[in-house]
This record gives sequence, structure tokens and C-alpha cells, in this order.
Amino acid sequence: MKELVDEVRERQLKEPEAIASERLRRFEEAVELKEPDRVPLMFFTCGHLLGKYYKLSEIYFNYDVAKKAVSRAFQDFPSDIFIAVPAAEGFILSLAFSNHPDLAPFVRFLTGPMHDVLGDKYTKWPGRELSEDKPFQFIGGEFMSPEEYGKFTEDPVGFINEVLLPRVCVNLSKPGAARYATLAKLGMAAKDYFNALIGMGIELAKLGAPSLSVTFAYTPLDIIGDFLRHPTHVMIDLRRYPDKVKQATEVLVEPIIKVALALKPVGAKYAFIPLHLNEMLSPKLFKEFYWPYLKKVIVELYNNGIKSFVLFEGDHTPHLETVLELPKGWGIGVFERADIRRVRKVLKGHTCIAGGVPVSLLQQATPEKIDSYVRELIRDVAPEGGFVISPSVAEIAAEVPNANLRALINAVLKYGEYRR
Amino acid sequence: MSISEAFINSILELDERRAIELARVRISEGEDPLKILEELKTAAEKIGEKYERGEFFIADLVMAGEIMKEISELVRPRLRELGKTRELIGRLVIGTVEGDIHDIGKNIVVTMAEAAGFEVIDLGVDVPPWKFVEAIKQYKPDIVGMSCLITIGIESMKKTVDAIKEAGLRDKVRIIIGGGRVDEYAKEYSGADAWTNDAATGVKKMMEWMREKR
Repeated sequence: MKELVDEVRERQLKEPEAIASERLRRFEEAVELKEPDRVPLMFFTCGHLLGKYYKLSEIYFNYDVAKKAVSRAFQDFPSDIFIAVPAAEGFILSLAFSNHPDLAPFVRFLTGPMHDVLGDKYTKWPGRELSEDKPFQFIGGEFMSPEEYGKFTEDPVGFINEVLLPRVCVNLSKPGAARYATLAKLGMAAKDYFNALIGMGIELAKLGAPSLSVTFAYTPLDIIGDFLRHPTHVMIDLRRYPDKVKQATEVLVEPIIKVALALKPVGAKYAFIPLHLNEMLSPKLFKEFYWPYLKKVIVELYNNGIKSFVLFEGDHTPHLETVLELPKGWGIGVFERADIRRVRKVLKGHTCIAGGVPVSLLQQATPEKIDSYVRELIRDVAPEGGFVISPSVAEIAAEVPNANLRALINAVLKYGEYRR
Repeated sequence: MSISEAFINSILELDERRAIELARVRISEGEDPLKILEELKTAAEKIGEKYERGEFFIADLVMAGEIMKEISELVRPRLRELGKTRELIGRLVIGTVEGDIHDIGKNIVVTMAEAAGFEVIDLGVDVPPWKFVEAIKQYKPDIVGMSCLITIGIESMKKTVDAIKEAGLRDKVRIIIGGGRVDEYAKEYSGADAWTNDAATGVKKMMEWMREKR
């Protein structure tokens, strides 16, 4: 039997341009806190979902395969916005090049081939350190001692280049020609990835997928947790060396904004910001060490015409009210474990929210249960617009049944229309 | 306030310097190190309660765990000198499940569970189902803890529980799953007995299980 999702699959092959502009308008109206014609549906993946089609080791190391996988995923599971980034967290490299706006955005993500070039200890990859069917994993590590906070604060970008990266990346650890060669190869790998992204965009456009013009930012304290000290240690540092940590976060604001603004001249509209330590901090620590600096970044980008696209990972509920300190319509917040109905209640009319569908539900429930879940979610959260339905931050695993993903799409098509 | 109360409070207030200082004074004054360890158990339970009430967050657990670890290390040589051993409240086999190599959460659980008086057998990361099964046969734990961060881990948890069932060991152990993306759905799907998003409530749950078992 032909289902609603199949009608969309047929239509996107027939009239991709028309459907792409409908989709983009739907998303943008939601971001502007309006009611579009229907609740927009968004999917994103760092590759796990693509494991449905090819071995993950191929997807991450062979861009032709990645391109095919992305197209197949979008044709099987059409959505309004599909963000596919088959690469790992690598913002530290952008920061290293923050004084070079022509380079900084292109090393924002650490790809499989870049991992081969750098020999970094942040990430592990399928077919390298992991078996071929496993997604890459970012594990970070402790690469700076607490005694070095002062040195870092004096010159953060210099420290990243001269001290940090040589410790993290085996192939940057030797001075001279070896190091320059690694950097040259990194540039080539970054260019390959950029071209691959353009190629993926072209393939997706043939299926009516709009592309968002994005740039990238980060929270200063997450830089310290993810790339310098390791999250566990930074949580202890906040108690043992509060002043040193605060000074280090303060000096990161400027280079982060510089990286984000690098793509302003080419029309970046959204700044992607994943949050990591947010849910782990008490409101007191959050308000002292995390939020003021993140807020500075978001507001500065907003003043430059760039809306932030923030992944509020974990349960952001205890810090929800702070979002109201941002200017109305500042961007879009994707919520993971926070109760989306409560998020909606607090942020309605102020912030466009996304999420609502737990990945574990998609994995475990029946299509019927997903249908009723989505119906109730839309009934409770969608009225008056400003809502994008999406799986909540976490990756959709390849094992999630196709029937369940189709049930989600069908339900959004069935219940998501706004009555005019 | 007794010195015991002051000691427990200093841990709950995350006052590292004071907690360590009190432990040092107590050891040097010849107090029974087992009593100090017993109080760590009380502290661990209270930390769980604080977390459940929303007064504690992960960063607080990490700091509390660090303090308790430092105190255990301080007490251990004295314990050895006296030829005493700590009475363990239960045995826990724990690991990050197959396919996942993240261990921040698991390590916090290990620290807190040890402080609470569990004997912990840490199988590390990327632990395949058969390794959990082997460990259950070898160590006969009361509880098996499985951790994951990424969503593929949920599938691995199910496979591991299935393997434990197949080996005929399911009724020998209680199983708790934990991690940032674990929830009621994941518990149902995997067939575990309990789930937790944080180390404190996880350890508290395990302590309850051990009390029931007695």
C-alpha cells in the first residue's frame, strides 16, 4: 500500500526545485516563530544512520560512498531539513587557524582522512582503531595540565598551535619539514572534504533537499573540556582552580566569534553550536562558567545577522530559563532529553525549538506507537508555530527499523498540517 | 556536631580540603579506618539522595567521587597496617558495552561504587557480550552494570542481556544500564532491571538491591 511518505518520495524525484523551496520556507518560518503550512521535520546524522547502506569504514573514508549513502538515506527517509556530517568534532582546528578566515571554517570537522593525516588522539575510527562497522568516536583526553592554564590564557591560539596540537597529533609532533608536510596534507584533505560536501549538496538538491548556509561556533568551557583537559577534569578544575578556568574561558570568546564570522561574507545564516558540559553543571556553575560566555557568542552572532543553531545536549531543563535572556528569535534550540512540553511552555513565542522524538523510541517502539506518540506531540507542542520536529540530538542508529522511521515521517505528514 | 557528621558534611559540601584534613586528623588520632570507610558509604547514599532531589549535578558527583577516592587512598595503608579488610556490600561487574569506547560515566560509577563499599570488576570499554558472560561465570557478581553513550550501545546492551539469558545466568544477577542516552525505552528494549542517567542514583539503586538481598 502506498503511504504518505511514498507520495513525497515520488514527488521529490519529479519536482525537486519546487519541493526544496517549500521545505526551506517551512523551516525558516518555524525559525521565525511563525506557523508554516506544516510542522517541519528535520533529520541529522554524523553517519550512524548511513550504516544502513554501506560499511561505516567506507562511508567515513571514501566520499563517493558517503555521497551515495546520503542520497539513499534521503530518498528512503525524506525530510524537510537533512543535515549529514560524516565527520567528528574538530573545532579546535578551526581555533588554531582563527586568524585565517580563509582556512578556519574548512577544518571545523575532523574527517576520517584528516585523522589519518594528523594521527590525532581525540578520535577513533572504523577500519582504523575500531572494527569496520562501528561509528567513529570522539573520546578527547587530557592534553594540558592544570598548571598550564596561565600559559594558555596568555595566548590561547598560540598555545593550541605550539603546545596542544603537537601533543594531540602524532604527525604534528615532529618539528620542521614533517610538520609542514602534515599541515599541507591537512589542507588537501580539508579541500577534498569541502568538495565532497558540495557534491553531496548537489545530489541532495536533486531530491529536493534544501541546503542551509551554516557556520560554526562553540562554548568556551566546552573547548577546555573537549580538547584540553577532558570533561571529567574540567569539572574538578571548576572547584580547584575556578579563577584560572574562568580566565581561560574569557579569552576564548574572541577567537570563537572570529571563526564563526569567517563565513559571514559568503552568507552564513546559522551557526551550529553543540553543547557538551551544559547538563553536567549545577545552575550555579552553569551561570558562572558556561552561560555568560556562550551568551556572548550567540548575541554577537545575532548582531551580525547569524542565528545560532544550538544542540542542547542531555537534559537542559535546569538551565532553561537562561535561554530567555537571549533576544527573541535568536535562533533554534534542539533539545535532547529535556521534556519538550516543558521546554515549549517556557520558551514559547521566544525561541524556535526542535526535537521531541527520542531516538530510543524509534529504536524500540512499534510503528503504531510512534504514530500515536507523534500525534500527541504535535497536538501539544506545535500550535502557534516555532516548532521543528526531529529526533532528539542523539544519532539514529543503523539498527533503527525502517518501518519506524517511515512511521515517524507518515505521522508528521498526517498530523503536522496547520489549519488555516 | 560530631567529627563524623562534620566529615560527612564536608564531603556533601564538596569541601575537598576540609574532608581530607578531617580524614588525616582521624587517622593520626588512631580512629578505626573502617569507621571512616563506613561513613563514605553513608556519604555515597546521601549524594544519591541529593542528586534525586535535583540538588546535585554530574559535576558535583565527579568532585564528590574525587574526594572519596582520595580519602579511600588515604585510609588504605592504615587498613593494611592493622591487617583489616573492609566488609564489602556487594560485587559489581561493569563495562562499557560493545562498540562504544566512552567511559566518563562508567568511571564515575566505578569511583562512587567503590566508595560505597562495592567490589568492582571493571571490564573496561568496548566489552563484547561473551566477555560479560565470562565475567559473570568467573566473578559471580551480584550486579552487572552496562554503560554506553552512543545510541548503538543500546543495541549492544540488548545483545548482552540476551547472551546472559542464553548462558542461563539471567536469574543470578541484577542488571542496571546507564548512560546519557539510556531511558525507560532502552531498559524495556534491552531487558535490564533498571536504568539510570547518572552515577549517584545508579549507585543508590544498587545499594537498595543489596539491602533487599540480605
